Amino acid sequence: MITTTAPSPVTAVTPVKSDNALLKALRLVPGVLLLAVIGYAGKFLEHFLNTYAKAHHWTFPNIEYVLWAILIGLAMGNTVGVPKLFEAGVATYEFWLKLGIVLLGARFVLADILKLGGISVALVVIEITLSLALMTFLGRMFKLKPKLTSLLAIGSSICGVSAIIAAKGAIDADDEDSSFAIAAILALGALSLFTFPAIAHGLHMNDVSYGLWAGLGVDNTAEATAAGALYSDAAGKVAVLAKTARNAMIGFVVLAYAIYWAGRGQAEAVTNKAAFLWKKFPKFILGFLLMSLAVGFHAFSKAQIGSLGNLSKWAFLLTFAGVGLRTNFRDMSRQGLRPFIVGALGEILIACLTLGLVIGANRIWGL
Amino acid sequence: MSTDKSTNAGSRKGSLLSLDAWAVIVALALALAVRFDILKDVPW
Repeated sequence: MITTTAPSPVTAVTPVKSDNALLKALRLVPGVLLLAVIGYAGKFLEHFLNTYAKAHHWTFPNIEYVLWAILIGLAMGNTVGVPKLFEAGVATYEFWLKLGIVLLGARFVLADILKLGGISVALVVIEITLSLALMTFLGRMFKLKPKLTSLLAIGSSICGVSAIIAAKGAIDADDEDSSFAIAAILALGALSLFTFPAIAHGLHMNDVSYGLWAGLGVDNTAEATAAGALYSDAAGKVAVLAKTARNAMIGFVVLAYAIYWAGRGQAEAVTNKAAFLWKKFPKFILGFLLMSLAVGFHAFSKAQIGSLGNLSKWAFLLTFAGVGLRTNFRDMSRQGLRPFIVGALGEILIACLTLGLVIGANRIWGL
Repeated sequence: MSTDKSTNAGSRKGSLLSLDAWAVIVALALALAVRFDILKDVPW
């Protein structure tokens, strides 16, 4: 902190504020560096193993940098853990995710967004309706607390953790319920990273169909992005688009639940619905659309669009390292079995259902 | 366990801008840097 012997009121306050901001920024550096090192190690391993296997005429499956980055993060997070020094920076993986999504907007022309986005929105509406009904039914069948059931239904139908956090305040759920729901969604998201690509390879799905399936079936945005990228670059792009369409619905579903619980006298009434919807709307989607619009107006050359796409990939690289680091199996196992069983059953059924939807859409629209 | 608190909740505690807003601002700054060739041929 900067101190002076005879400070005027202004000079005494201003340096403290800037010091705090600087300190806060500096505190992020070790963790961000850790994300970068793990992400780059993943990229290095992919390149090194492929080159080595080729040089020695080995048959070695091509394991993408995405999976390596997640695996290294998982190994570190679940063995030595994330030291306190790195925690603040590691938590920035959400920022890198959103930055990557906004930059990815440059890789979509508006026509793609309108076509794929239109199909995604149609599928998302069906998916949300069926998921909400299914999770509510399962929650009742397993006699979960009603608000925990609501949180699980919202989390699995829209966008995982952020939807649960958004709904928690709106329906006045308690902390324990929301951490149960978050743990279940995160554990299942981690599993989907391995199961979704394997199933899709088995079914010989094309990139667009798989991307749509990952965007519709995987709940948390980071995991959906990673699950898409694990299949191919093109699938990763489509997964982000489908997931973004799903995220855009968050306000409507949370509003419906808020009104439901307020009607039962167990949550605050929503007075201004438009303001509520705007507050819950994920604003980074606007950035994604703006970027795509700029490309549509030829604001960038082909090489510049390539650069923006690569910047997006670097941002996602840090995200994938963060996904691995923050997935802690020990924490998840402490959260109890019943919510996990309900979540797992629901997720398996939703995955089958969304797979059926995507296969149907492929037949109708020829994705 | 980390949670995505910012997506829908506006600004974070103690921060004037939400995480979403920061992501959009930084992305636009990067896009401008690329547009005016301050950042050129970003490798992958």
